[in-house]
Amino acid sequence: MSVQEYLEKHLLSRKIEEAVNAAVRAKAPDPVLFIAGHMRRAAPAVITRVRARQILDGHGAPAVEVELHTNKAIHRASAAGSGALEGAAADAAGAAERRKILAKVVADSVRMINDKVSEALVGMDPQEQSQIDQAIMDLNKARHKAELGVGANAMLAVSIAACKAGAAEKEVPLYKHIANLVGKSATTLPVPAITVINGGKHAGNGLPIQEIMILPIGAKNFEEAMQMGSETYHHLKDVILEKYGSDSCNIGDHGGFAPNISSISEGLDLVIAAIERAGYNGRIKLAIDVAATDFCTGKKYDLEFKSTKKSGQNFKTADDMIEIYSQLCSEYPLVSIEQPFDKDDWEHSKKLTTLELCQVAGDDLLMSDPERIKRAVNEYTCNALVLKANQVGTVTEAIEVVKQAKDAHWGVMVSHRSGDTEDSFIADLAVGASAGQIKAGAPCRGECLTNYNQLLRIEGELGSEGVYAGENWRTVNTS
Amino acid sequence: MAVTITWVKARQIFDSRGNPTVEVDVGLSDGSYARGAVPSGASTGIYEALELRDGGSDYLGKGVLKAVSNVNNIIGPAIVGKDPTEQVEIDNFMVQQLDGTSNEWGWCKQKLGANAILAVSLAVCKAGAMVKKIPLYQHIANLAGNKTLVLPVPAFNVINGGSHAGNKLAMQEFMILPTGASSFKEAMKMGVEVYHNLKSIIKKKYGQDATNVGDEGGFAPNIQENKEGLELLKAAIEKAGYTGKVVIGMDVAASEFFGEKDKTYDLNFKEENNDGSNKISGDSLKDLYKSFVSEYPIESIEDPFDQDDWSTYAKLTDEIGQKVQIVGDDLLVTNPTRVAKAINEKTCNALLLKVNQIGSVTESIEAVRMSKRAGWGVMASHRSGETEDTFIADLSVGLSTGQIKTGAPCRSERLAKYNQLLRIEEELGDAAVYAGAKFRAPVEPY
Repeated sequence: MSVQEYLEKHLLSRKIEEAVNAAVRAKAPDPVLFIAGHMRRAAPAVITRVRARQILDGHGAPAVEVELHTNKAIHRASAAGSGALEGAAADAAGAAERRKILAKVVADSVRMINDKVSEALVGMDPQEQSQIDQAIMDLNKARHKAELGVGANAMLAVSIAACKAGAAEKEVPLYKHIANLVGKSATTLPVPAITVINGGKHAGNGLPIQEIMILPIGAKNFEEAMQMGSETYHHLKDVILEKYGSDSCNIGDHGGFAPNISSISEGLDLVIAAIERAGYNGRIKLAIDVAATDFCTGKKYDLEFKSTKKSGQNFKTADDMIEIYSQLCSEYPLVSIEQPFDKDDWEHSKKLTTLELCQVAGDDLLMSDPERIKRAVNEYTCNALVLKANQVGTVTEAIEVVKQAKDAHWGVMVSHRSGDTEDSFIADLAVGASAGQIKAGAPCRGECLTNYNQLLRIEGELGSEGVYAGENWRTVNTS
Repeated sequence: MAVTITWVKARQIFDSRGNPTVEVDVGLSDGSYARGAVPSGASTGIYEALELRDGGSDYLGKGVLKAVSNVNNIIGPAIVGKDPTEQVEIDNFMVQQLDGTSNEWGWCKQKLGANAILAVSLAVCKAGAMVKKIPLYQHIANLAGNKTLVLPVPAFNVINGGSHAGNKLAMQEFMILPTGASSFKEAMKMGVEVYHNLKSIIKKKYGQDATNVGDEGGFAPNIQENKEGLELLKAAIEKAGYTGKVVIGMDVAASEFFGEKDKTYDLNFKEENNDGSNKISGDSLKDLYKSFVSEYPIESIEDPFDQDDWSTYAKLTDEIGQKVQIVGDDLLVTNPTRVAKAINEKTCNALLLKVNQIGSVTESIEAVRMSKRAGWGVMASHRSGETEDTFIADLSVGLSTGQIKTGAPCRSERLAKYNQLLRIEEELGDAAVYAGAKFRAPVEPY
């Protein structure tokens, strides 16, 4: 190829002239630097490589990290691994066996990403999120057929990495890119549902429910919400220290305290005391994640499932539970109850929702699954979705279920997973999708704070354009 | 034309304990930017560089808006136009001119705050690496004059006591060091497996409550005496099958239970109705350590005595220092002047490197070089309040410290550093060397 042919084939003279003209128009102080940047931005938007490795999540368990290479940059994402274990084999396994299964699943995912996924995605434009996610879904389906009983949503990390790459190609922040993918331009800073007390099967106390959270709905912006949340958290530590001793100040999986309490009221009273000390009465509401599936036996709910000597008075029917929840909603500023019944108890979830006492958020009931959401919308089973991105599998699917919930005038709480990593994607997702709510744990533990810190950066970046969901936390951006 | 700093922006974010800390973005003329966030400690030594907090009622007095303002209004404008690869020049400019405060031990950063200065220093260091288009660890190695890169042995903090934990354990941390691993990746596998075995042992013995974690991801079971912690570790290492491959380290943080009046150490200082019956002299404490060392595979003891108890330190170092690394944390606070004194007096034989104790990258590198030339070990360390910033991972490789202490394999602000080391080892490929048993002196001094 002659010099002239090379120049003509690549339109080199014209491209360079365009870059020089752009530098002149901009009166760039450093024209060479400007031209270099201009030429770099003109490179085609193409995925050139996809690589995966095993890293460790916030519990020290294996998780998948993906690096997606384009002509311009490398984009990295990781996704929680432990929530990915599914099927009877995993359920039956003990802790050590589960760790082995997870390690194998992650290793398999790493190989698959480095092999089949990379092959499928190389050459694609990272701005085409739905096409990329479709390719991922197709590969996942083929894989699930081949490996019965063991599912892994490690593919989510690929989808997220592509989403980050797409945002970079468009030269917009990730949350704005997500807003565009949703089809709306508005963004909203979510109300944080901050974990403050842990109970349930992972905590050593007698509290049957999994989490008590505080929602700083009365804050004027996200920064103030975090100030309210972190101050209340520290005051709660003092309250617990005074009442239960220093042993109770260590933290659980989501960064909450696990004081030696055994009733919901006891936990709520502690939180109320902390809110009062912090001086935020009336501006902070409460939420609970019951995770009732964990203590449902047959059709009864065992509020003493963690106790070795039961009183016999805490085996409740579902209707008893409705009575309990009603009482709690009237006595406390309780505005959200997550997973109040077993994941298959659609009937009573509907009864509670119909009372319209509070937000009733479906977690296990829905599993972020479009078909289950559709049914729940039709049957009025709950009125909010807990969105866990790795239950859906890809960014596109996550966006679809958000739109589905919003179209039904539901609340949407974007949620972290047990076993998160330092990736802060869900913060951008919550803003871009205008979810209105985010549940990322306590203001403690790096995997929780990484999301809250990212939201602080986003709010700072948006400046006066930043809108905090506040009182509209349940109704943001519904159609 | 060289790439220069064009803008600097600081903000207040949260560390892993939900306390405010400083994060800084440094923007460059090529359109890119680098970010640094500073850690903070719960038990700070009195000789540390000053961490500027706002006081008042907001954030229970721990706000850092003043430090943020110092970056945005004083430091930032002053370093715009500078070349970010000139780390020494920028650090010295910030420390000596913009701040300029000093005490008998050196620059103390009282005016602008060490948290303000360090956040900029870290971000500039990352920016310098970006400009040179080399990995951060390589940039740090170049700044130090280190020609040999080494992956550090991780010192996993798996049992917590002291002021970080709610139990009665006087000693602050018990750590496991996988010195017998063949690579950093294998060291992580060993550490994770021992940690999870320890968790199940603790759960059986103390109940589910005891598997909640402390500030750095370690467990804080309700154990009554220090030896019990060592027994738990020994059992966990055996159960995981790594006897002989994983050794034990201790961080005593003895300043926390030193009595200034009678110069004694109170091993019962966390007891509410403490009658002082467990107070012992420095010499008795030294003998206690020696008995531990003779019975357990302990190869590192950090802060065995009060930060001003130089003479007892020197005795212990003289008596067991050949076999056991004696690490100075509160004693040294990463301060070159104190390091020089400790080298002269043979007070200890390893430096705990905490960048926020000294307050800049340049001064941290200097403290490490001094230590290595003296034949000391160096352990790069996190603080109990960390962010997702992974700078110390690259620092430990670039300076070939041979050791890194950044918590348990739990909590992502700890795992972020370990994950970064996994990436670095993968990136180095065949050139990767793990410090292993040579963790105290992995490379020739530089």
